[in-house]
Amino acid sequence: MKDGFQGLRLGKWMLGLLKQRAAGLFCFTFLALGLVSLINPAFLAWGNLRDIAVQAAPVCIISCGLMLVLVLGEIDISVGSMMGVLAASMGAMVSATRWGLSPWIAVILTLILGTLMGALNGWLIAYLRVPSIMVTLGMLTALRGVTEVIMGGTWITDLPPGIRYLGTGSWMGLPICLWVCAGVIVLSTWLIHRTPLGRRIFAIGSQPRAAHLAGLPIQRVKFLVFAWTGFLTALATLVSVPQLSVVDSGIGVGMELLVVTCVVVGGTSVNGGTGHLSGVVFAVLLMTMISTLLIFMKLGENATYWSRAIQGLFILGAILLDHLVRSKKSS
Amino acid sequence: MKTKWFSWLSHPESLLSCLTLVMLGWIYKEDPTFLQWEVQKELSTHIWETALMALPMTLIILTGGIDLSIGSTMSLCAITAGMLHQHGVPLPMGCLAAALVGLAGGWFNGWFITRLKVHPLIITLATMAAFRGIAEGVSQARPLSGFPKSFTWLGQASWLGIPLAGWLFLGCLALCAWIMHGHRLGRYIHAIGYNEVATRYSGIRVNRILLGLYCLSGLSASIAAILFMARRNTAKADIGAGVELGVITAVVMGGVSIFGGRGSLFGVCLGLVLIHETREFVSWHWSRDELNLLALGSLLILSVVFQQLLGHKRSS
Amino acid sequence: MSALQAKQISRSYGGTRALSEVSIELLPGSIHALCGENGAGKSTLIKILSGVETPDSGEVTLNGQPIPLGRVHAVEQIGIVAVHQEPVVFPHLNTVDNLFVGREQSKVGGLWLNKKGMREQACQIMHSLGETFSLDIPVGQLSLAQRQMVSMGRALLQECRILILDEPTASLSARESKSLFATMDRLQQQGVGILYVSHRLEEVFQLAQQVTILRDGQCAGTQPTSSLSRSELIRMMVGRPVENPSRQQKKTKSKSDKPILKIRGMRRDPVFQDIHLEIHAGEILGLSGLVGAGRSEIARAIFGLDPVDEGEIWFEGRCLPEGFTIQDTMAMGMAMVPEDRQREGLVLPASVEDNLTLPSLIELSGWMGMHRKPRHEASRSLIEQMGIKTASRASSAQSLSGGNQQKIVLGKWVYRQPRLFILDEPTRGVDVGAKEEVHRMIEQLAAGGSAILLISSDMPEILRLSDRILTLCQGRIKGEIASHEATQEILLQWALPEERDALS
Repeated sequence: MKDGFQGLRLGKWMLGLLKQRAAGLFCFTFLALGLVSLINPAFLAWGNLRDIAVQAAPVCIISCGLMLVLVLGEIDISVGSMMGVLAASMGAMVSATRWGLSPWIAVILTLILGTLMGALNGWLIAYLRVPSIMVTLGMLTALRGVTEVIMGGTWITDLPPGIRYLGTGSWMGLPICLWVCAGVIVLSTWLIHRTPLGRRIFAIGSQPRAAHLAGLPIQRVKFLVFAWTGFLTALATLVSVPQLSVVDSGIGVGMELLVVTCVVVGGTSVNGGTGHLSGVVFAVLLMTMISTLLIFMKLGENATYWSRAIQGLFILGAILLDHLVRSKKSS
Repeated sequence: MKTKWFSWLSHPESLLSCLTLVMLGWIYKEDPTFLQWEVQKELSTHIWETALMALPMTLIILTGGIDLSIGSTMSLCAITAGMLHQHGVPLPMGCLAAALVGLAGGWFNGWFITRLKVHPLIITLATMAAFRGIAEGVSQARPLSGFPKSFTWLGQASWLGIPLAGWLFLGCLALCAWIMHGHRLGRYIHAIGYNEVATRYSGIRVNRILLGLYCLSGLSASIAAILFMARRNTAKADIGAGVELGVITAVVMGGVSIFGGRGSLFGVCLGLVLIHETREFVSWHWSRDELNLLALGSLLILSVVFQQLLGHKRSS
Repeated sequence: MSALQAKQISRSYGGTRALSEVSIELLPGSIHALCGENGAGKSTLIKILSGVETPDSGEVTLNGQPIPLGRVHAVEQIGIVAVHQEPVVFPHLNTVDNLFVGREQSKVGGLWLNKKGMREQACQIMHSLGETFSLDIPVGQLSLAQRQMVSMGRALLQECRILILDEPTASLSARESKSLFATMDRLQQQGVGILYVSHRLEEVFQLAQQVTILRDGQCAGTQPTSSLSRSELIRMMVGRPVENPSRQQKKTKSKSDKPILKIRGMRRDPVFQDIHLEIHAGEILGLSGLVGAGRSEIARAIFGLDPVDEGEIWFEGRCLPEGFTIQDTMAMGMAMVPEDRQREGLVLPASVEDNLTLPSLIELSGWMGMHRKPRHEASRSLIEQMGIKTASRASSAQSLSGGNQQKIVLGKWVYRQPRLFILDEPTRGVDVGAKEEVHRMIEQLAAGGSAILLISSDMPEILRLSDRILTLCQGRIKGEIASHEATQEILLQWALPEERDALS
């Protein structure tokens, strides 16, 4: 298309960039940050920003896994309850009044347990071909029950310092959870872009029939992705729960919704085949910032009650945007 | 002879009836007092809301869809009625408004599903968050109460030993049964679930039917909210959290295929009985609520695995 | 190198024999063409050779070794690769990924993709095919021709010994076809055997050394292309004993002057253009042409299932409003039996009764709802009328044979006594006995005053039943002829695409 106007060409380029979800989110986050800082400069304080990042870290870790689940064309809404079980069992493992194991063993066991739970999901979904919504809906409830059973009606309040270090400690000035999160992001980037497995995940989600004809091990890939999500959930639990002084049975409630929102808002299509890690990371930052944003915007203390509504609005917006992009492509 | 046995067995309803009888028998052996009429009457007070919402859910799952937002719609409707009441609006008007909100919520879901062709799972997951979020925001998570006696009486009243909510459910059940077996809508719903494309090509207005079903689901959630408010004399934003699991489990256990097409209301009634009795007995006998959740979740997974093993096929 | 040999391949679907003891031999370093009309069995043979389907009997060997039948990936591993007409690609991935999925090249034992190397190779292959589009665009955004090239590139990457090409030039431009032929030439010199399926007879003569003609599932002959002329080839493709259609009595049928269906200038780019036709009451208009010519698309547009860009459609004198739907056309008295019986025509798990009465439940219901008696009555009489062999009304439609299933699809519309009946491949996959019954039924419907639009790839069928025949080629009407003057050769001549110069 010929046009001699530089301005128009620039506009078209910017539009093309905005179509990239990550870029759009980045701009949005930037704008939101700018707006809030204008209203309340205290927002930009290092302590506040660090707190936001620390809050976002576990969500980001799990989102890296859940993004691959959605790219495959499946869904996993059991991560929140998995977190609950992992938190409860970790607490029970290290608490002196319960099992009193060493923190190292607790860490390893928690990681194994998370992977096993993810593997159970994966086995039911990939090999028994049960629809993922049903499996993970059932798991969401059953695991919440298991959490209650492990907690046995009381809270755990005596986490030893070894474990608490994971949550509160720092290394080279940054909290441990941020390092772990960064590590997971790097690992996921490598997985998606630099391994055959990553390409195959996208291929299977894009066109399962073609994947079948190409001889891809579809079941195995699905199983691995769900197990990986379980592992990441355990990792997220290990770096976030020790920040609290109390472990109760309500940990992780609602986490699955937050993570799915972030992944969808971050540009991952629910039909599978597409997804950008950068978009997901920005979406996580944005979504976890919302409640803090609301506080800092001086809209009054009641504003935070609208967090979930705003979450819902974002995911609806993402669905609409997805639909617009899809219908534009097909026309 | 062998094939005859197997064909009888392949009907989930038959298996389900056996399972129900076996379970009731085992319960009786463990603790006979549980099955007494008085005890059952006490325990059944809160099943009616779930049962009521299970009816449109059955129809929706029969068409191959799903509605995860019923719990959140309940919450939104309750807050609507509660807040209007707080601002002096007479309660009947408030309940009417709640019903309209429920219908609107269902219509919202249905519009995304039929016009924008979004998968029911995704949109109802989103509205599950959005509706409850709005309820939380509007009510600021504070409980509302103080409803008039004439209203709360509705929650306590009963006739012939069955509460009003129960009669409402039985009436709706009769209506649904008539729709499914005596009205052409029932044939359409099964056909849509088995093969939506072929049903469209036969001239059936599929979009209209689906929209109607999701609206109905929203409406049932609003009625459930009103019943809850009448029973507990409170309206709070966390009403109905997790209720969708119980409803879906009952429907799926009742033999309704998650891929659509296959299923019956009789099976769903059995499913409701099963999960209700399981839940209550677990609480009764072991006095540990948390085992409920475990039992319920496991039941859902086991029913779906079972359906899969029986060979329920995804329609193209 | 190696030769691909298929011996006595047979395959049936339900009651119909798609392939009957077909044998074919592909020599290394040669191009072997495969010709035949629709339904001759070409696609079935290709599916068997490429591993998509398994034959009922017969064997396929590559250089004397039997191939792993029915497993596409395994067949590809031993060097037999097929490029299908509908390219099976991964739409969200770019070209490089599409070429290498399943055989990614990596260093460090699978831990680090050699993206640079793969990209270079992909570039090389696509250039050799004459394609210069950017390798980063998701393949789903490419044109159909480009996607075919990607599919072709994947086959080339495989280093095949046998390459099967199914109508590769159907959507290619002249330039792209030229590149394709150059590639085929190169492969030929490397000793690859190529099986080339095409309706473009000039290409067959230009490229292939041998041609095998399939007809009605049987091998009608294998000849060197140098010894055949175009008309001889066509005759071999259609060469059946021409039955004298006993249609003389039809000529005396009085035609009402007002047509039931009149279409002027109907168009939907790029599928069909300039469609004009008329059908009168009691007339059977046949629509012949190759697969992909646009016949089913026209039918669906008339019935209201798909939109049209432009065009006027009159039904019994009334012009159809813009954006009309299936509810409008059904109310006016149209009916359509779709091409894909199982996916579009039947609700398979539902009962015979449910299927038969589905479009007519509104008429069968009383004001309160649906009365069982009218429905039972209607299905009972339909089963009798159509001659449907079923254990009971309540049996699942899935359990019936292909012929009986087709009778259900017909029956559910026959009940409504439509004024216009559109039939898309009404006897596909139907056994001989049921076929006869369906033919009789169609003639009865016409005799009863309905107008019938008959789409069929079965030449004898269309010649026997139709009063007039229109032939479609690439979305346009190529010719119109009265059936008693038509022959299979004429119809096939019209159906085959023109020489290349007509295209851009």
